[in-house]
Amino acid sequence: MMLEKTIFCITRVLTYFILFCACFIFWDIISKGSRKVFHKEGFINWEFFTESPQTLHVIEHDGETLELSSENYFSFKRSLSDAAWKLLITKSQFKEVKERLVNNLNDLTETPSPSSQKNLLHDYIENEKKEAKEKFNFWLDMLENPSNHASDFEVSEEEMPYLVGRFIIAFLNQAKSKYKLLDNELSYFSALHYPKIDNLTPTNIEDINLAYFNFLNENLPKLWNVFEAKNKNLRERVVEFDENPSTSSFVFLENNFKSIDEVQSLHEFNSIDLLKKISDDLRWISSSFRISVDSKDYAYSGGGIFPAIAGTLLLVGGAMLIALIIGVCCAVFLSEYGKTGKFLSLVRLSILNLAGVPSIIFGLFGMGLFVIFLDWNVSLIAGWFTLAFMILPVIITASEESLCAIPQDFRESSIALGASKWTMIKTSVLPYALPGILTSSILGVARVAGETAPIMFTAAFAMRSELPWEGLEKWTDFFFQGVMALPYHIYVISKIPQNEYTIDMQYGTAFVFLMLVFMLASLSFVLRARLRRKFNW
Amino acid sequence: MTSFTKPTVKKKKPSKSLNAIEVNDLSFAYGKNEVLNSISLEILRNKVTSFIGPSGCGKSTLLRCFNRMNELLENARIIKGSVVVEGHDIYEKTVDPIELRKRIGMVFQNSNPFPKTIYQNVAYGLKIQGVKSKRKIDEIVENSLIQAALWDEVKDRLNANAYELSGGQQQRLCIARTLAVEPEIILMDEPCSSLDPVATARVEELIFNLKQNYTIVIVTHNMQQAGRISDLTAFFYLGKLIEFDETKKIFINPKMKQTEDYICGKFG
Ligand SMILES: Nc1ncnc2c1ncn2[C@@H]1O[C@H](COP(=O)(O)OP(=O)(O)OP(=O)(O)O)[C@@H](O)[C@H]1O
Ligand SMILES: [Mg+2]
Repeated sequence: MMLEKTIFCITRVLTYFILFCACFIFWDIISKGSRKVFHKEGFINWEFFTESPQTLHVIEHDGETLELSSENYFSFKRSLSDAAWKLLITKSQFKEVKERLVNNLNDLTETPSPSSQKNLLHDYIENEKKEAKEKFNFWLDMLENPSNHASDFEVSEEEMPYLVGRFIIAFLNQAKSKYKLLDNELSYFSALHYPKIDNLTPTNIEDINLAYFNFLNENLPKLWNVFEAKNKNLRERVVEFDENPSTSSFVFLENNFKSIDEVQSLHEFNSIDLLKKISDDLRWISSSFRISVDSKDYAYSGGGIFPAIAGTLLLVGGAMLIALIIGVCCAVFLSEYGKTGKFLSLVRLSILNLAGVPSIIFGLFGMGLFVIFLDWNVSLIAGWFTLAFMILPVIITASEESLCAIPQDFRESSIALGASKWTMIKTSVLPYALPGILTSSILGVARVAGETAPIMFTAAFAMRSELPWEGLEKWTDFFFQGVMALPYHIYVISKIPQNEYTIDMQYGTAFVFLMLVFMLASLSFVLRARLRRKFNW
Repeated sequence: MTSFTKPTVKKKKPSKSLNAIEVNDLSFAYGKNEVLNSISLEILRNKVTSFIGPSGCGKSTLLRCFNRMNELLENARIIKGSVVVEGHDIYEKTVDPIELRKRIGMVFQNSNPFPKTIYQNVAYGLKIQGVKSKRKIDEIVENSLIQAALWDEVKDRLNANAYELSGGQQQRLCIARTLAVEPEIILMDEPCSSLDPVATARVEELIFNLKQNYTIVIVTHNMQQAGRISDLTAFFYLGKLIEFDETKKIFINPKMKQTEDYICGKFG
């Protein structure tokens, strides 16, 4: 009697304990999650459902805090600088600086007459050659009279050719950063002459020197063309800014000026002082209207989770469709066409075993087969197939059971009326088995929606600013794009350190995710009930 | 008469014999269990033939041999003998079982309509044969239901689910469904087993009317029924054909002792 009572108590306490744990978890998620999902006044926070995840910027000022998602933060900053700009252009000092800036820029970009242009280019090339020549002469001297230099560089005389070789290579690398646009050509040049650099003799060094001169003669005029184009562009910007000094025309001007950097060498040759003056003026203007707003940034904590919801729905829909098609075909084969025997039992056994394989293994399998071997990349379709394979065992087993539950009579009377086997299956077996198949697939829906491991390598992106139906060039691109997904999003945001700002996002997402899975499941229940009513026997 | 062999095969001239079905020395087994043992008999055209015998003696099995329904079962096989329908051995490879079954209709022991509407049940055979014309289907559905003596009872609720009908109505619906595909031979496996005397009488009347156009084979446990409706009667016992003759002779003056015992209900 005592024993009976204790066993009763133990089982009861354990059951209540589990119930308590479940309640606690749900209560935790719902209470914390609803802070994000609902406004304080109790209305649904629709932005959370319709916006993309953004970085949350928290601005503290005078003891007050302002939480802004990226979009709002940047437009806030823009409005501040617009106001500052308006103030700036009324100042007389601005007018002065602007005038000077425009004049200087005009001087800089003035188009020389063709003849003087020719001279300029010629002078420039000669100048570059002269500089190079000095270096080569020095290196030649180092080679020919190693004893004079060995002590300066603290090397033995035998090591001298090697040292000079290093110098030449360093010189060529320097040229690369000087003529950024000639990067490829210079690489080719050094590769071509490497054997000679490696094995330096006075004649070799003369050869390299000559070749380098040829190189300059040939390529620097090209550089000049680029310079001309950029100069022309800059000139247009100057005019624009002069006529209408706004923030945007200033920013364009600034950027264009910076982009001339690539051909700076030619510019410097023209006018070093001028460049410095222009830079100073530019810096003054931009510093007096650009306002920096200090903020603490928390990744993914602003905006909403719409792309993740959409991605999950797409993944679930596609995967279920594929799994149902393949699964029902398999089940039809197993129960209608297959003959009972050892082989079929083996097939059934392996399908059952497949159901126990951990989902991360399916993820790896999907990555190996779909992402890498079939070269689908990280894409919706790879995710679909991976998820479909994961739930196939469930679907096949369930479908087979449903098919077996259809009375043999239906099959026989259909056949007796002259139906072929396939017609029989199509008209008097599958329709009646469908409700059962769908019911059991509900389990699959929850699993497909919930698993992270299978999609982590095959379909999910941590962040993607475009929605799946945006920016498609061809309709097939739709299938070959990665998407965001709720379970993976939860995984990603759980890894960022938790604080008062991120925690809402984490719990809010979990809350929505729970609700979504719940809704999908109830949807399938309704669907099943309808089908049952239609094909009930 | 159209042939049910595949078109590639040379058509034999249909024999003009009176026999709709000839069974020659047929033995049949489920796995190792031999259920039919050297059966030979002829079913005459436009006659009603009834099969009687104790439960489990193989009547249904023989019936199912006539339209190759046994093929659906994995372990069923014919040991020897042949079934010849209208001059063709139906177990030859060239015979298309689907064509065969369109011409040999079957009504099953337990009524088994599809869980669809009454209309859809009757139209099913036509639909799968690819008849598209709605008017034609409507016409055939009505005719079949009239022939099966069900029309008056269901004409107002053709779109009701067939499972809302009574057992006897369901059985007649199954008969109508079979008639709709216009077979030449109808096999009936205890069509009246679940019917009351009134419904039974209607089915019997129906069989009597069908006799003009169809060849009918009927399995029954009801001796009076066999006596009333059939022209010929075959008595089976333990997988053997014991006696096969005109119904009158079998009932009034049976040659075999077993037959007499069975008919008089002395069996046990
Ligand atoms: N699918 C099957 N597999 C194995 N044996 C079967 C199968 N169907 C019938 N049998 C066996 O074959 C024998 C004959 O069966 P059958 O159904 O032909 O009898 P029956 O004469 O129609 O009986 P009843 O009057 O009860 O309908 C029985 O012994 C039965 O056990
Ligand atoms: Mg039977």
